Amino acid sequence: MRIIKAIFIKQAKDMFKNPMVLVMFIIFPVVALMMTKLVTVEDLPPNMFVTMMAAIFAGMGLISSATGVIAEDIEQKSLRFLMIAGVKPYQYLFGTIGFYLLAGAVASVLFALIGDFTGTETLKFLAVMISGTAASILLGAAIGLLSKNQKTATSLSMPVAMIVGFTPMIATFNETVEKAAGVLYTQQINVIVNDFSAGLWKPLLVIACNIAVFIVIFVAAYKKKGIKLS
Amino acid sequence: MIHMNGIVKRFGEQTVLSGVTFEVKEREIFGLLGPSGAGKTTIINILTKQLNADGGSHGTGADMLETGLMLDADGLYGRLNCLDNLNLFADVYGIPRSKSLEALKNVGLTDAAKKAVNELSNGMRQRLSLARAILHEPKVLFLDEPTSGLDPATAKGIHTLILGLRDNGATVFLTTHNMDEAIKLCDHIGLLHKGKIIEEGVPADICERHNSFKTVPDLEAVFINLTGVELE
Ligand SMILES: Nc1ncnc2c1ncn2[C@@H]1O[C@H](COP(=O)(O)OP(=O)(O)OP(=O)(O)O)[C@@H](O)[C@H]1O
Ligand SMILES: [Mg+2]
Repeated sequence: MRIIKAIFIKQAKDMFKNPMVLVMFIIFPVVALMMTKLVTVEDLPPNMFVTMMAAIFAGMGLISSATGVIAEDIEQKSLRFLMIAGVKPYQYLFGTIGFYLLAGAVASVLFALIGDFTGTETLKFLAVMISGTAASILLGAAIGLLSKNQKTATSLSMPVAMIVGFTPMIATFNETVEKAAGVLYTQQINVIVNDFSAGLWKPLLVIACNIAVFIVIFVAAYKKKGIKLS
Repeated sequence: MIHMNGIVKRFGEQTVLSGVTFEVKEREIFGLLGPSGAGKTTIINILTKQLNADGGSHGTGADMLETGLMLDADGLYGRLNCLDNLNLFADVYGIPRSKSLEALKNVGLTDAAKKAVNELSNGMRQRLSLARAILHEPKVLFLDEPTSGLDPATAKGIHTLILGLRDNGATVFLTTHNMDEAIKLCDHIGLLHKGKIIEEGVPADICERHNSFKTVPDLEAVFINLTGVELE
């Protein structure tokens, strides 16, 4: 636990100094806030900008952040020195992923505060956002493990983020895509944040299945590429 | 304490080490010399269990937590400052964070404690990497070219530090291209060439053996004599 906490603290300190990652956690809520306050066109759906930015953040922003952080630690050999100092791979991963899960949850709360939601809406919003960010982070972490270096990490995580991020938008114009997109956690985030009257259980179940799939991919990536010294 | 016995290491078709044997005694500074590409770093990587050998046996007489390591790929966190880099490792080792300041002081980086690693000069960065290696007062220390690229004064400071560590009971294994450093610093050296240790012993004795002891011991001449190549 001491070691996991040490890694957690390191990732926290590092995030605040890493513009590439910090931008995700600051820019998205700030843009949502500004657009909500500044754009006062009549007949806009309530909370449109908050829900839009939140969905993009949970679906896309976090994948590349998680990928980048893990790929960087591997490429720069800093993980190697941690392991020589006795850090086990699972301790590193728990500390790192744990921190980003918390950061994703905090950002979700920020979005919720910016939006003008009722009590039930807030709960539904947080439920899909927190589970959705978790799915993104696990997917990103798996890609990070699979990448040799930060370059491959970006070239792998970008298209993945685009696909899971943009499919829900395409789905609004195309019924076939909409049906297929139903299995994606990003689609479910959109379903809930765009219509709080929709049932919560099916989306949560789909997101949970996504998380389960990503954990399987993550474990497979870990077994295949591994984090090991020799 | 540290030993290798008939170590063989291949990378694909290339055999880098073909039966490396040597021993380093406790509380001794051992210098491994050899031209670029001879396999010095590979030997450190095998001894610190970052690489598996293809044959032979080896050991260090210390577990990983009693081992300090400095490699040319330093693995420092560029965005974090010097102190935070060391504090992470102090936390990981479970030793008080005050040790971080102590280590910074030992390498002369007290004033740079709050500086981000990305803003350090090469020499400062190297010293920080050394500070991390000695943070937990290891029994065995592996230093891969600890003074390469440093100005003479900084290098001298590091020599003093390494000698002090040995006097306090540490066993030091270092690699170097610098003959002067080998003669001044090392109790014992080994010359690595074509996958084998071709000569070893006390630096002055080696020079004597090869009649290369005119006014000062000239290890460089011995080396060129034995291998036909020059260390840069
Ligand atoms: N991971 C690897 N894969 C393939 N070949 C390798 C690998 N690591 C080292 N080698 C090869 O092994 C040989 C020895 O490399 P090593 O880094 O041990 O040399 P060195 O003595 O430390 O050289 P230098 O003084 O330049 O640091 C080189 O020919 C190098 O190309
Ligand atoms: Mg080397």
